[in-house]
Amino acid sequence: MMAGERNPASCYLDERTFQLCCQLFLQHSETIQDGWSWEQIKGTDEGFMKKTVLMPVKPSVLHKQHEYSIQDENMVTDDIQANVEDETAGVQAVCEIHAVLRYEYHVLYSCSYQIPVLYFRASTLDGRPLSLEEVWSNVHPNYRQRLQQGPWDTLTQQEHPLLGQPFFMLHPCRTEEFMKPALDLAQAENKRMNYIVTWLSVVGPVLRLDVPLSYSTEVSAPD
Amino acid sequence: MSDNAESPTETQKDDPSIQHAATEQTGASDEKKKIDVLLKAVGDAPIMKTKKWSVERGRTVQSLAQFISRFLKLEASEQLFIYVNQSFAPSPDQEVGVLFECFGSDGKLVLHYCKSQAWG
Repeated sequence: MMAGERNPASCYLDERTFQLCCQLFLQHSETIQDGWSWEQIKGTDEGFMKKTVLMPVKPSVLHKQHEYSIQDENMVTDDIQANVEDETAGVQAVCEIHAVLRYEYHVLYSCSYQIPVLYFRASTLDGRPLSLEEVWSNVHPNYRQRLQQGPWDTLTQQEHPLLGQPFFMLHPCRTEEFMKPALDLAQAENKRMNYIVTWLSVVGPVLRLDVPLSYSTEVSAPD
Repeated sequence: MSDNAESPTETQKDDPSIQHAATEQTGASDEKKKIDVLLKAVGDAPIMKTKKWSVERGRTVQSLAQFISRFLKLEASEQLFIYVNQSFAPSPDQEVGVLFECFGSDGKLVLHYCKSQAWG
């Protein structure tokens, strides 16, 4: 069970529990070198988790913008740049047929919603930020149709609450509908669960963020 | 591959790689290609009349979710969520065979599912 401050019927998370869950999550990330890190805001007790990923995508993801008339040339540039930059050695093999995007994911705590929220920014390798349309093109097909047809803006451009830079945000208003069942289930089975592991396993894949299965078994819940 | 579930629905005919799990043991080669999945409803999700299914190992979570959604006749605006190990959502691209290797016990993989609200 999570500590008594959580109402069993509620899916809300207090900030301290958020931070504890993140620290446990980060320990496992360190173990499997999954690339997550904690960013503490200097002079405060606030912080967030972040991870940067290089992601090959089908070139059609980048066909949704108006400014660039020569799409192919833009993609070829990406390919060539990726080939000469040694630090992206891992993606050279896929550069011939894919474009490569850089996604930076941030897991923040929202005081107003009292739940975690996923922020991210995305760009091509030459630093061009993706448009909202292009980001939508890269939302996982399993979720895209339903989210796009929803009655509110699921993906919005927001100023990062702690950094003040433009990011995209996955709107958290529906968090309860996928967290509550998992929380109720854990409670019924008298098992504790790590809120961040469960939450990220659901929202991550929507935005192409992979959360390895080992998080499910190797990360403990906070006391 | 006979079974004691009700007659096949139209959706089942479209999906030969997902079949009612047989009560009798099938041949050895079938057992290797397919794994047994037990579907459990959570919250106010509709309960599947047939809970036990044989699924090809290579089938993805997304594909299984689509099958369940059609079987339960969910609306297009309703999202199905699937959990393994009770509180972890596997990636939609994950193969059920891998999930079985990690979380299967007593010869089956237990998956919990719930659904979101429809719009409006």
